[in-house]
Amino acid sequence: MSTAIAHYLAEFERLAPSLPWQDSPQWQAWRQAGWDHFAAGGFPTARHEEWKYTSLAALEKLRLPCGPRAAAPLEWDTLRIRALLPEARHRLVFVDGTYQPQLSRLGPLPAGIHVQALSTQTAERSAALQAFLGTVRARTPFAALNAAFMADGVWASAEAGACLEEPLLILHVTSAGHQVHHLANVVQVAEGARLTVVEQYLGLTDAPCFLNQVTSLHLGAGAALTHLKLQQEGAGTYHIGALQAHQQRDSRLESHAFALSGVFGRNDMETVLAEPGAGVVLKGLYRVAGRELQDFHTSIRHDSPDCSSEECFKGVLEGNGRAVFNGKIRVARDAQHTVSQQTNHNLLLSDQAEVDTKPQLEIFADDVKCSHGTTVGQLDESQWFYLRSRGIGADLARALLIEAFALDIVASVPVPAVREALEQLVRSRDHV
Amino acid sequence: MLIIKELHAAVGDKPILKGINLTVRAGEVHAIMGPNGSGKSTLSNVLAGRENMTVTAGSVQYLGQDLLAMEVEERARAGVFLAFQYPVEIPGVGNVYLLKAALNAQRKHRGLPELDAMEFLALVKDKMKLMEMSESMLYRAVNEGFSGGEKKRNEILQMAVLEPTLSILDETDSGLDIDALKIVANGVNSLRHPERAMILVTHYQRLLEVITPDFVHVLAGGRIVRSGGPELAHELEKQGYAWLGSEAPEGKSSAT
Repeated sequence: MSTAIAHYLAEFERLAPSLPWQDSPQWQAWRQAGWDHFAAGGFPTARHEEWKYTSLAALEKLRLPCGPRAAAPLEWDTLRIRALLPEARHRLVFVDGTYQPQLSRLGPLPAGIHVQALSTQTAERSAALQAFLGTVRARTPFAALNAAFMADGVWASAEAGACLEEPLLILHVTSAGHQVHHLANVVQVAEGARLTVVEQYLGLTDAPCFLNQVTSLHLGAGAALTHLKLQQEGAGTYHIGALQAHQQRDSRLESHAFALSGVFGRNDMETVLAEPGAGVVLKGLYRVAGRELQDFHTSIRHDSPDCSSEECFKGVLEGNGRAVFNGKIRVARDAQHTVSQQTNHNLLLSDQAEVDTKPQLEIFADDVKCSHGTTVGQLDESQWFYLRSRGIGADLARALLIEAFALDIVASVPVPAVREALEQLVRSRDHV
Repeated sequence: MLIIKELHAAVGDKPILKGINLTVRAGEVHAIMGPNGSGKSTLSNVLAGRENMTVTAGSVQYLGQDLLAMEVEERARAGVFLAFQYPVEIPGVGNVYLLKAALNAQRKHRGLPELDAMEFLALVKDKMKLMEMSESMLYRAVNEGFSGGEKKRNEILQMAVLEPTLSILDETDSGLDIDALKIVANGVNSLRHPERAMILVTHYQRLLEVITPDFVHVLAGGRIVRSGGPELAHELEKQGYAWLGSEAPEGKSSAT
């Protein structure tokens, strides 16, 4: 057993008795299965196809204590100025892995809409929750580790036909650092229901920490879910996220990912278009500078006919920044009339920046329309000259061109307040 | 206003300008004509500060300053404007944003207060009428999807908004139909002013029918081989550039 695994095992043994619902044999077994699955494989290395370009060596050396930590008191006014939706009527706030009722608020919810922190679930309801968390063995190594340790997060559900017009904000703040946090969010949108969920990961510390989260999305027939995840992590944060979506007939999922800071980010996003007529839109923007890394592995499974997927990721890389994009699209044999489009565009602003981008199309059906395209380019000198020739300073001209490249991903966010806040965020990083 | 002395410039390691001498005073309009490959566009771009052009010898004084030592944006803020032969498309940057940022950068440089949104829009809309441009073009991305004529009009719109001291129009007439040419000429003529000067770079005489220059220079082989009044343009129109052969063999050889 590697010393890293031994460290996590010791933490698991220390924490297990205090994790939620551990009096239930089902949960004990589930967590143990998560641990066993992770421990069996250990930390993936470059020999694992899925980790070929992203080294976990530095993360493996971090031996931080796991589990929630008593959070230093924070005022909403401190967080408000950084919150993506400062006026959200419905928000659940977590600080250092723990739900903070005094920072959260839930306005009156329409009939059929339920939003709660996981840690407040009774053992009885938790049984239903486990069903939505799925089989541990199907998980990525870190999602399996999450199953072992997961102690808090959000469970949001919309019953058939229910609709919440305003977005729900899930704000996770890392404040103390020197800790590993495991969070899980479960979003369930039943037949014909609609929901908008915004996950924001905000780092207030540059101290080393590791955030390992899983988000499960379940869309019933005709359901519509708009989902957004923003990573604004501190300079010392390792962020690993897994998004697992399952879509039934004619459901629509739109998921927008923004990885704007943090020393290391890895997202595995998978959606299964399980029944005919389902559609997914995945959009993403990653920015790296200094020695940061962002890695997006996406997987769209067209398991049924007449489904559509549209995927567009863009990256802006500066300094010694690195990025990885791997976009897998699998079209099953009987998934005829699949329409699938994938693009990944990268803007390299320095000679030291590096991106590895790989489309991975596996098409077993014969009547499909699938396209993909990848570009890696630099700032257009003639555009830069043109702007400067009008009197615009070199730095501002550069910032304008970076924004012009990145902002169409922001422009696709359907929630106006979030879109405007993101525009500001993308701008402010250029104007520093 | 502008004094160019013995200017030599190269693109890559290929010498293009081989000793340009030209003096432009306030209030004057100069036309620089010449066959393809004579160095017309290189001269325009050297004056604007394009980076892939290397000045190998000579000097350029603009309002007493060493123009060649100034950054691209400093030249613009000091009142030098290049209307591009091929205006660049910039998807994602709004036309109105560019105009406002450019105008305010220049005003700031001159110690003037920045215009607020209302004042700015009033100014721009006024100039758009002059250029017979629809307001919707303000809200499109810079030159993106514009026709050739729209791009050229957009250049002159920028010029009209920025009111440069020295305007250099690089082949502004190329690709324009006769109606668009007249609109462009109106825009340019409205900017003629005793304190401003213009350099019109063109291959053909037709622009000079609608904008009458004070001086016409013939550029060939990287040198000005003849200078004269507006009548020189008519002469060129009749005779073409072939007669240059005897006077500037290099010009002929590099003409394509």
